[in-house]
Amino acid sequence: MTQTTLHANSGFGRWLGKLPLGYILRRALMMLVTLWAIITLTFIMMHAVPGGPFVSERMMAPEIEAALNAKFGLDAPLWQQYFNYLGGVLSFDLGPSFKYPGVSVNQMIADGLAVTAQTGLLAVLAVVAVGVPLGIIAGLNRNRWPDTAVMMLATVGVAVPSYVIATVMLYVFALRLGWVPTFGLDDWRGYILPVIALSGFWLSFVARLTRSSLLETLDQDYMTTARAKGLRPGQILIKHGLRNSLIPVVTVLGPVVANLLTGSFVIEQIFALPGIGRHFVLSITNRDYTAIMGITIFYAAFLIFMIFIVDMLYLWLDPRIKLEDSE
Amino acid sequence: MSNPDMKLTENPWALLELKADAAEVIASPARGYWGDVWARLRARKPAMVGLVFIVLLILAAVFGPMISPYSYFEQNLKLSNIQPIFNPYTVSTTDEDGTPETAHFFLNAGNFNLYEVDARGALIGLIRGGRKDMAMRRTTYQIAGQAVVVDYSQQPTRLFVDDVETRPGGWQWNKTYWFGTDQLGRDVLVRQLYGARISLLVAFVATIVNFFIGVLYGGISGYAGGRVDAVMMRIVEVIATIPLTLYVILMMVVLQSGLISVVLAIGTVFWVDMARIVRGQILTLKQSDYVDAARTMGARPGRIIVRHLLPNAVGPILVTLTMLIPSAIFIESFMSFIGLGVTPPLASWGTLTSNAVETMRAYPHQLLFPAAAISLTMFAFNFLGDGLRDALDPRLRK
Repeated sequence: MTQTTLHANSGFGRWLGKLPLGYILRRALMMLVTLWAIITLTFIMMHAVPGGPFVSERMMAPEIEAALNAKFGLDAPLWQQYFNYLGGVLSFDLGPSFKYPGVSVNQMIADGLAVTAQTGLLAVLAVVAVGVPLGIIAGLNRNRWPDTAVMMLATVGVAVPSYVIATVMLYVFALRLGWVPTFGLDDWRGYILPVIALSGFWLSFVARLTRSSLLETLDQDYMTTARAKGLRPGQILIKHGLRNSLIPVVTVLGPVVANLLTGSFVIEQIFALPGIGRHFVLSITNRDYTAIMGITIFYAAFLIFMIFIVDMLYLWLDPRIKLEDSE
Repeated sequence: MSNPDMKLTENPWALLELKADAAEVIASPARGYWGDVWARLRARKPAMVGLVFIVLLILAAVFGPMISPYSYFEQNLKLSNIQPIFNPYTVSTTDEDGTPETAHFFLNAGNFNLYEVDARGALIGLIRGGRKDMAMRRTTYQIAGQAVVVDYSQQPTRLFVDDVETRPGGWQWNKTYWFGTDQLGRDVLVRQLYGARISLLVAFVATIVNFFIGVLYGGISGYAGGRVDAVMMRIVEVIATIPLTLYVILMMVVLQSGLISVVLAIGTVFWVDMARIVRGQILTLKQSDYVDAARTMGARPGRIIVRHLLPNAVGPILVTLTMLIPSAIFIESFMSFIGLGVTPPLASWGTLTSNAVETMRAYPHQLLFPAAAISLTMFAFNFLGDGLRDALDPRLRK
C-alpha cells in the first residue's frame, strides 16, 4: 500500500501543522464584531418596544414601577444601561429575568440546555448518519428504484413543514397507535418523534445535496484517471468520490445547526420538551425582555462559533480553498 | 418494419432541386428565450401540476371568501366541531293520523351530541332536550316519537332506538360545512381560504422585497466593488449569521402580533439571500463587453445595473425567488403556529394547525385540512421551483 493518491498527503496532522494563524485570527475578530452587532441590535430592539417591560393588563402603582425600574437598573440613562448590559454579557452574565423573580437568564439557559442539546445532537447525527448514506445510495443507483424512493422521501421532507410532520406523527404514532409517548423524554422512545421532526427537512436536503454532488463528482476526470490507474472501485469511491462530494455537504452543516435551533422552538412546544426553545417562546409570550435578549445572544454566540468550526472543517476537507478572502 | 406491398416508383435518393426560397424556410417556429423556457417548463409534469395548483389556489383565495356564505369570524357554538363527513341514523314512525314522520341525525363521537340532518346531508341543527343520566352515562332523546338513547358508557358509543341497538345508514358528506366546523362553530373551509390569502400575501410581499431591496442591494454591491462591496457584504454577513426566523421573532416582539407586523417583519430581513446571489452574478457579468460598451457611451451606473446587468441575471434571480417564496410562507405559518403571527379571529394555516393540535384526539379532521393545505402549497412551489430551475438553465439539470 504505497500508492500516493491526490489527497493522501493532506492528513489532519499536517493540516494542523500549517494552520493559517492569521486567517483564524481575522475570523475570530470578525466573530466578535458580529456578536457585538447582534448584542447591540437586540438591545436596541428590546428597548424600542412601546411601553416599559412591566406594562401589562393590570395597572401598576407608579411607586412600584419606579422601584422595579430601580431594581433592574432601568432608571439609568439608556447608554449606561447599554454598557452595563455589554459588560454583563462579556462576563457571561445575562442578567435577571423580568418575569420570574430570582431566576437569572443564565439559569434558564442552563435548565434547558441538556434537553435541547440532546435532541439537537441526535438530530445532527440523524442528518449526517442517515442523510448522507441515503444520498450516496441514491447517487450510486441513479434512476433505479432506490434513487426514486430516496428522492420521493426527500421531496416530502423538504416540502412538508416540520410542525406538520410533528403533529401528524404525534397523531398517528402516539395517539392512534400508541407506540411512543405523546410528550416528555422519560423513555428512549420519547426521542424518536422529536428527532425525526427536527431533522426531517435537513436530512432530506442533505440527501438531495449528497446525491447531486456525488453525481457531479463521478463525472470528473480524476475519477476516470483513478479507474485507469487500476485502483479498486471501493477505494476510488471512498478516497476520491466521497471525499470530494462531501465538501458541499459540510458547508450546509452550519445552516443545519442554525435551523435546528429555530426548529426546536416549535418541536419543543409540540412535544412539551423543557428545552431552551420552549423557554424562548415562553419568554416571548410573557414579554420577558431580558430573557429574550439573553437567549438570542446565546443563540447568536453559539451559531457564530459553529459556523467558525464548519469553516475550519471545510479548510481541512478542501485543500484547494483559498485562505484569503476574495476582497 | 417494411411494407412489402409498397412499390418504390422513383429513386428515393434522388437529389431535390435546390430552390432559393426553400433553403430559407426555417423548420420550426422561431422561439425567443422565454418561449424556450416555457416549452421546457411545459415538458415537466410536476412543475406544471405545481403551477396549476398555485393558480387554482390564488383563484380560490381571491374569490372563495366572496362566494362563501360564511365569514371567518362568525361563530355558531351550537354547531361546533362538526365533522366534514358523518354517518347518519334514520328513525321513522307513523303517527295516529297515518302521516309518516322521518328524522335523520348523526352522532358526533367527539362530544356525544346528536345533530339533525336532512336526507341530502345538509345540517338542520343540534338536537336538544336530551335527558342526561350521568350515572348510567347515557342521554335519552325523543326523536320522531321514539326514544333514542346514546350510551357512551363504553367505547365505541352505541345508540339504541326503543331499546334496540341501531346502526347508522352509511357515510354522507356534510353539505352545509364542506370541511366541517372548528371549536367555535366557524366554517373550516372559509377559514382555510383566509389562511391561503395570508400565505399568498406573504409570498407576494417576499417577492416584492426581494426584487426591490435584495436585487438592488446585491446589484449595487456587486457593481460598485471594492470597499463599498466589502462593507455591504459584511453587513449582509452579520445579518445572515442569525437564522431569519430569529429576526422575524425579534421583530414581532417589537411590533406586537398581527398580520401587518408579520408582513413587515418578513419584509425587513427577507432579501439577504437574494442580495448575495445577485452580487455573485453581477461580479461576473460586469466583466462583459456590453458593460464596457455602455460605459463608453456614457451610461450612468444606475442605468447599467438596471438595464444591462439585472436582465442578464434574471434566471438565477427567478430560481432564488422560487426557493424563497415557500420559505417565506413557511416562516409565516411557523410564527403563527408558535403564537406570534396573526391574531384571532384571523386564521392562518399555522394558527389553524396549532388550534387543531389541542383537539386532535377527538377531531382529527381539524388537523387534516390545514396540514394538507400548507403541505400541498409547499409541494406546488417546490415543484414549480425545481422545474423553473431546470427550464431556465438546462446545464444545471441533474
